[in-house]
Amino acid sequence: MQEKTFLQKAMKIVPISLGLVAIFWFGSAALGLSSAVQQRLCGIVLVVMTYALLLAIPKTEFKEKTFLQNLKIKIPVFIILAIVIWFAAGSMGFPVWWQIQFVAFALVGLTFFILLDLRKMQPEKGQGQAIIRLIGTYALASFIFITVTAQLPQFDPQYELEKLNKPPMKLTGLAGPEVIKAGREIFEANKCFNCHKVFWEGNSDRGPNLGTKQIGLYSEDYIKEQILDPRVKQSPGFDDPKSKKAMPTYYGDDISDDEMVALVSYLKTMRDPTHMPVEGKFPDQWTWWDDAQIIEEGKVVFEGAEPATEGLNCAVCHGAAGIPMMTGALDFRNENQPDTDKMPDHLPDVMLKDWPDGLWYKRVTRGVVGTPMAPWGMIFPHLYLWKAEAYARTFHDPLDKRAAKRPVPPVPTKEEIESWKAKELFLDPLL
Amino acid sequence: MPSSHRLQHKSSFFKSIFALLFIFSLVHLAPEPFSVSSPFSVLGNSSTAYAQEEEEDDGLEEFAEDDEFAEDDEFAEDEEADGEETSAEGEEGEEGAEEEDDSWKTDIGPAKDQVIEPFSFMGLSNRKFTWAAAQMHILFASFILGCPMFVVIMEVMGARRTQGVRKAIVLSNVFLAVLIGVVIGITGEIIVGIHHGVLYGLWACAFAALIVSFLNYFHRLLNVKVSATVGAIFGTLIAIPLTPVEHTETSGIILAIINGAVGGVLSNMIMFAKSDFKFERLAHEITKVIGMCYSFTALTGGLFLLVMIVVYNDFITYLLGNFPVLFMVAYPTLFILETIVMYVYVYSWDPLNQQNKKGRHIVCGVVLNILGLTLLCALDGPATFMQTPPVPLDKLGEIGEWSKIATSTWMPLNYHRLVGNGTFGGYMVGIIGAYMYLWSTKQEEKEYYDWVGYMGNIIGVGIMIPLPAMGYIFVREIYQYDATIGMYIMSDRESMFMLVQGLLVGTMFSASNIYMWVSMKRIENAQRFFPAMKFGFILIVISATIWFTPRRFFATMMPEPGMNPDMVLPDNLAFMALMISKNTAAFALVTVTFINYVFYTIATKTGKVHYGKINPLGIYVLIFLGFADIWLMSWMGTIRELSRMNWHVYKVFKDITPEKFAPTLAESGFHVTTIVWTFFIIMTATIWLAIKYPKTSKKPAIPASTAPQMAE
Repeated sequence: MQEKTFLQKAMKIVPISLGLVAIFWFGSAALGLSSAVQQRLCGIVLVVMTYALLLAIPKTEFKEKTFLQNLKIKIPVFIILAIVIWFAAGSMGFPVWWQIQFVAFALVGLTFFILLDLRKMQPEKGQGQAIIRLIGTYALASFIFITVTAQLPQFDPQYELEKLNKPPMKLTGLAGPEVIKAGREIFEANKCFNCHKVFWEGNSDRGPNLGTKQIGLYSEDYIKEQILDPRVKQSPGFDDPKSKKAMPTYYGDDISDDEMVALVSYLKTMRDPTHMPVEGKFPDQWTWWDDAQIIEEGKVVFEGAEPATEGLNCAVCHGAAGIPMMTGALDFRNENQPDTDKMPDHLPDVMLKDWPDGLWYKRVTRGVVGTPMAPWGMIFPHLYLWKAEAYARTFHDPLDKRAAKRPVPPVPTKEEIESWKAKELFLDPLL
Repeated sequence: MPSSHRLQHKSSFFKSIFALLFIFSLVHLAPEPFSVSSPFSVLGNSSTAYAQEEEEDDGLEEFAEDDEFAEDDEFAEDEEADGEETSAEGEEGEEGAEEEDDSWKTDIGPAKDQVIEPFSFMGLSNRKFTWAAAQMHILFASFILGCPMFVVIMEVMGARRTQGVRKAIVLSNVFLAVLIGVVIGITGEIIVGIHHGVLYGLWACAFAALIVSFLNYFHRLLNVKVSATVGAIFGTLIAIPLTPVEHTETSGIILAIINGAVGGVLSNMIMFAKSDFKFERLAHEITKVIGMCYSFTALTGGLFLLVMIVVYNDFITYLLGNFPVLFMVAYPTLFILETIVMYVYVYSWDPLNQQNKKGRHIVCGVVLNILGLTLLCALDGPATFMQTPPVPLDKLGEIGEWSKIATSTWMPLNYHRLVGNGTFGGYMVGIIGAYMYLWSTKQEEKEYYDWVGYMGNIIGVGIMIPLPAMGYIFVREIYQYDATIGMYIMSDRESMFMLVQGLLVGTMFSASNIYMWVSMKRIENAQRFFPAMKFGFILIVISATIWFTPRRFFATMMPEPGMNPDMVLPDNLAFMALMISKNTAAFALVTVTFINYVFYTIATKTGKVHYGKINPLGIYVLIFLGFADIWLMSWMGTIRELSRMNWHVYKVFKDITPEKFAPTLAESGFHVTTIVWTFFIIMTATIWLAIKYPKTSKKPAIPASTAPQMAE
């Protein structure tokens, strides 16, 4: 029987493979499998197809090349590939060090392919040459390993030594900022950064960003409980089985009472006066403006039924249904309401629907001079005030009618955070 | 005397004898409670003694030096009996304290005043010295424990199927099935999440091998497929009741069926394999090297212990004191037994061959392996105790020795080292093949050693395939025990160390594939696979790139002074550095290697292999591979040891020496390279002495490998 040509084989392989890709693509979507599984299945089929096509290539004589011949052909290919990789990685957002890494691996690939096509090495002419080559092999391996370990980023052991030589922390005699600073050290020493970011610091999204979540809004007891027994309440968006067991449960044994006080003090500083708290796991995040649960809790605060804010009842003036009960009270139903002109820092041309989060926060926590709008932030925990604001917005922007969630604000930079204190945006002098 | 009186007298006499014996046994035979139940007593006693010395100072020394007082045995006995009472009285008045002082009992003499200065050999760091001694010991131990596992199977493959050999094969098949069953089972347990997967694998594979081998011995079940079916059915039927799960799940049954089938197929194939003398020769030659390396294992072990005593004496006393039965009874017994069996195995090779008692030799090999693996598991106990001591830590003094051995990472480390040692052994066989190829001048010798290199690579790669899964299991247990250790390894000061590990694994898989490629050039008709294999190389480079890609290019969790905090992947690209990407890359590496191996196997089956005509590049790639594997093994050992941070026993026994910090990557890389060089220099000499030197003798040598003469 005559063997089929490559084209004949390809005409069979390609349609079958593409058919399988279509089946997997639509089948996995129909079965409700995740897009990652869908892509992987299709990727595997395409890889198998490539293998099948390459195996179908008719047998040809394999031509080995000298080192120079290899370079002549492969160097131009490598240069083009390196340029493509460099720019592709750059356009995807990879920092320069990763661009260098990818090009370096392309160079490794070039070395492989030179080796694969290289003409057969001449046999050793004697034991002397064998010994030289043998030592050369060991030297090459050693050179690679020593160079790699020497050139990769290093740390200075002195910093670890300094930490290890520090005496155990005692709070006695420490003042507020020093306690917060000590808390930060505890945070680092217990490797909390491994899973949690604090605003711009850190590089893991395994757990919530404690800065943008504004863990500092919560009570000390709540924060302590979350550290000691993290399984009690899972942060919204971190309900998957992996996240549920991610937070270790041994910190109660590892952290002394003094250290816990300091740690909680540090965590209490994690607040943002310019933005609503952010929940969820990157990249599926949302702000409290769009959090149904928070809005529900905010309604309780707004209507004066929250025990933690006993004495606060927004509905008295603003109306339980959003219809102002008092002259001059802000009508939350009207999205085109301007900011009050009774405050020196008022924003005249900004309508209620476009108010920045910071303005909401400022007006509620500091009140409006000469009106019954008291500085509630001096009296009640700010956690509940944010919630009440999230609810207040629903009068002109009902949750069920929103086409899209409000965008998650960018993570505040170091400079922005430092400016909050300079601008005295917080009421707390320690913040 | 009336008879009744006599009887009564006789009866009371026996009663008295019985009572005396009872009292004697109570006094002398009752086990001393301190050794097992309270290992801290060793430390506690010594520290109390020192405390007394400090408190009581000169006054008590006078008493201790008073010979007359000290030699008064009677007084001493009285004092011992009333020890508690006197010490209580001592608090009441000075006079009483002077009279009843017993400090002379705990006074060790002038030695107590001698301050031992910290010692450093030729200015070398003490830690580095210990590090080198420990790693040299582990490297030799890995060789002598790893190689016998496949040596015994090779011996089987090379032995003519006499009745005795066939009997021994039943045993060796079960041994092999246990190893394979455990590896497949634990992989299923971890990757698929099958509860007690390791037990399903172990029992199904082992019993399938036993049943099929037994039937094969009687020339039943000759067909491989039928053997697989019988193995799968009976292996599963036995495994299910033996595996203690509340509800038998389908996944567990499937795992048992797979293991049973594997056990059945392997047993049938080995039992009826055509004996190939090359295997016999290879096994024998490796055994000679093992014999020599055994001495080096003991020597380096002794060196390690002595260095520990000089440098970390308080810690080593504590550690050994926690495992009195292990270190005083079990370990020496196992060590002595293994030594005996090892030398019997090495030196009985030719005599038993000549007497046609190959079967007995194979049994000896299996026993050697069982002892070796037991030894490995036994010493993994203290090693994992240092890493993950059983919690609660304040109750360590109240738990038994077994609980201190069977820590949460004990079995994972056993699995990891079992597989790691096998890989190690495989690549060392590759090195032996490569060396001997280079040292051989005759064509037939070159052909043979070319084949040895091929076998070494196959064993090394084959066993390395499940190795990443075993490493994953170990680290997962560490994370579950205390995530801080896991974070220190994966995200903090050891993160760059792990990056180097990824690079090494990628290098090894790549080098193995390059070796296969080069080897295939000497196989007729194999070039048809080359385009597909080249595609595989592209996948390998991509996979290695992904495996290497870090989340950040600074060496700690948070940037320290002098580091660039911008060297972090943006959030939307962070997935490249997560485990899911790494696992995919690892899967691709393993799969491509497996596919290339399949091509290689098909090529060897369908085309003529020109052994002895390999491109010399292949020989050097094998040496490079062996060096890389052993370097990686030392590197992983370094990572494991450093992951305890500034603790000898994690959160139990702190390292308070000046070298309690993690050394830099560069320093560690250089030091590990020097250790591996030392190992290779010794190994080169050993291979030459064990295999090459006997061949250079001008006298007509006794045949190195005497084949069995006739069937029993």
